[in-house]
Amino acid sequence: MRNFAKHTSHYLPLLGILLLGVLAFALFSYDRGFQIAVSIAVALAYVAWGVMHHHLHRDLHLSVFIEYLIVASLGLVIVFSLIFRS
Amino acid sequence: MTFLPGLGSKVLGYAANISPDEVIRLTNEKRVQNGLPPLVLNSTLSAAALAKGTDMINKDYWAHVSPNGTQPWKFFMDFGYRYRYAGENLARDFSNASSAVDAWMASPSHRGNMLSAKYKEIGIGVVEGDLAGVDTTIIVQFFGTKYADSLPVAPVAQTKGATPTPQPKAVVLATPIPTFSPVGTTTLSTPKPILISPFNTTKNVSLVIVGVLLGVLVIDGLVTSRRRIVRIGGRTFAHLAFLGMILAVVLILKAGQVL
Repeated sequence: MRNFAKHTSHYLPLLGILLLGVLAFALFSYDRGFQIAVSIAVALAYVAWGVMHHHLHRDLHLSVFIEYLIVASLGLVIVFSLIFRS
Repeated sequence: MTFLPGLGSKVLGYAANISPDEVIRLTNEKRVQNGLPPLVLNSTLSAAALAKGTDMINKDYWAHVSPNGTQPWKFFMDFGYRYRYAGENLARDFSNASSAVDAWMASPSHRGNMLSAKYKEIGIGVVEGDLAGVDTTIIVQFFGTKYADSLPVAPVAQTKGATPTPQPKAVVLATPIPTFSPVGTTTLSTPKPILISPFNTTKNVSLVIVGVLLGVLVIDGLVTSRRRIVRIGGRTFAHLAFLGMILAVVLILKAGQVL
């Protein structure tokens, strides 16, 4: 919570992007192509957010970038495995 | 496709309990709710829908137009249904009629077919078979208005993604209208016990993986916070939020496709 309070102005846009992603999935449940595009867009936005956030806090390192990339990739793999299975 | 070689029989597939009558009832329910007259069941359209579904299973394709270029309207004409207006909705891998109808209604183009004032009749074909190695159930929904019920103009056909093919004004049937069973349901292969739904299996595995990761991140966040450990790394809260979104998406996603 302490961390969240300290970085509220950064976390709010991230939460907004993620909420929009969930909404898009729910509203366009019939359009697989759109769901794939939304997944990729949110994953890229998440990595971009991480890079910008850590750059502004002057603690951006390669390992941090890779960490966000791996988390985003894992999320994409999980979502794609379901989209292409449905 | 044999998922577990030792069993020697198909175990992958989508079990379904879909009645054509139920699909029609639900479709008409949606139409009445939107102030439209209900569609009348036409057994010719049902037979044509059944033929289309059978063709999709036999030639292993999931599309409005078959790999050899056969338009869906050909099935109308083959069964002697001279249409003024024609439409097609397809669905697969749904476990019941209600979820298929809801999926069509959620899609603007399919909803347009279901709620079109142009159509007067409906036919449903439900076919079970193997599509791309997985046992599945295909629902073919044919809409139509007979040529004789309207003014003598060129027939117009509508479907999502298919281009209407111009039809001649005078149609001579070279062969008699085929006989058919009034209920459009068939099973092309001997029913095999469906034990594993690919989608549900993948969904459950995904939920476990995301759940474990979320738990690990929460514990990691609590430990580093209490011990005031300073380290170079990503924000735990951000990872939690992202994986929380993935969890929500996994819960939202459902089996079944419409076309």
